[in-house]
Amino acid sequence: MANLKEIKRKIGSVKNTQKTTNAMKLVSSAKLKRTEELAKRSRVYAAKLTELLNEIAQKMHHSNAEGLDNVFFKDASNPKRVDIIFITADKGLCGGFNSQTIKRTSQLIADYKAKGVKLRLRAVGRKGIDFFKFNNVELNDEIIGLSAAPDFAQAAEFISEVSESYVNGETDKIILVHNGYVNMITQEIRQDQVLPVDASKIELSSKSTSELEVEPDDDDTLLDALVKRYVEYTMYYSLIDSLAAEHSARMQAMDAATKNAKEMVKELNVKYNKARQESITTELIEIISGMESMK
Amino acid sequence: MELMKLEIVTPSGVIFDAEVKQVTLPGSEGEFGVLPKHATLVSLLDTGVIVIEKADGSEVAVAINSGYVKVDEEKTTCIVDGAVALSGGDSDLAKALEAAKELLKSAESSNTAIASAVAKVEQIGKSL
Repeated sequence: MANLKEIKRKIGSVKNTQKTTNAMKLVSSAKLKRTEELAKRSRVYAAKLTELLNEIAQKMHHSNAEGLDNVFFKDASNPKRVDIIFITADKGLCGGFNSQTIKRTSQLIADYKAKGVKLRLRAVGRKGIDFFKFNNVELNDEIIGLSAAPDFAQAAEFISEVSESYVNGETDKIILVHNGYVNMITQEIRQDQVLPVDASKIELSSKSTSELEVEPDDDDTLLDALVKRYVEYTMYYSLIDSLAAEHSARMQAMDAATKNAKEMVKELNVKYNKARQESITTELIEIISGMESMK
Repeated sequence: MELMKLEIVTPSGVIFDAEVKQVTLPGSEGEFGVLPKHATLVSLLDTGVIVIEKADGSEVAVAINSGYVKVDEEKTTCIVDGAVALSGGDSDLAKALEAAKELLKSAESSNTAIASAVAKVEQIGKSL
């Protein structure tokens, strides 16, 4: 009889878990919708900004025989010091979302260490911070709360410190790793080189025929301002992208958990019924055999 | 009259996308007007007001804090950090005016630029 009670208790607990996971799934899907909208709107801005930056860089490329000599467009194929920024979520329960980012970051660290490159790590999000702290990896900068609620001003402040150290020559390359949103069921690890701006990626296709005029006349003033904005926006956009991916990953994980719980309740119900029948059969046999012996 | 395409993009989305006759922009080196078939130009934008003459001749003003503009023969693209549109016949004009002034005052720009932009916004508010 104790077994029956035990199974019944288990069914209740699994059902409760199912309710929780289902609620979390609903919350995530609502949040995903909002974040997706935000990402969609800022994508236009990001696209235009990149386009403009490309065009100016291209113009400077043409006017200068040695290519770009701006500090933001240096060649960084053999960096000596690299900054890695990685974005994880503040919360777990979202499948492999965080561990994927951590895995890629660890791999990057190993790769650069093998080449003898000096590394500095900057972490956004509690999960990544916890992981690397637990493994005694030194973090240069850490920020909690930004990945759960991306804010442009805060993102800009965070990244400007990094880009300043780049301008000062303290680092040769800045890499940003985050898990990006592809669609409702897919996330993809993205690894972007924030600085220097990758000049090889710049498309050399100009539709306009006339010479590009720049105001203020000093090319660097405009380019510096643009690059600064570009870097800030890359950071901000990555945060939004990461948040959308986090919600979609959590939605998936919670959906799977709900399904598993359902399956488990089903199995436990079968077990419960079997145990119940068994106990009835035993009782019946006891009664019958008792009566037989009284004859 | 010839028309050109004008786009104003902010981090929170596209706020203006239409064919226009003419646009006046607050460049960092001074205000300048753009007509269709303008030579290619890239400029920093200062705190100020973008005045647009639409295809039907009516005027629209957009207050901005800072940004960039890219002009070529067919198209003008403004990439701005913050913008508030002020258009005539709008029931929320008073609110929009307030929002525009708020935006301008919060801009990291020289006081004279802000003051002149605010004055311009007030003037537009009266004329609409």
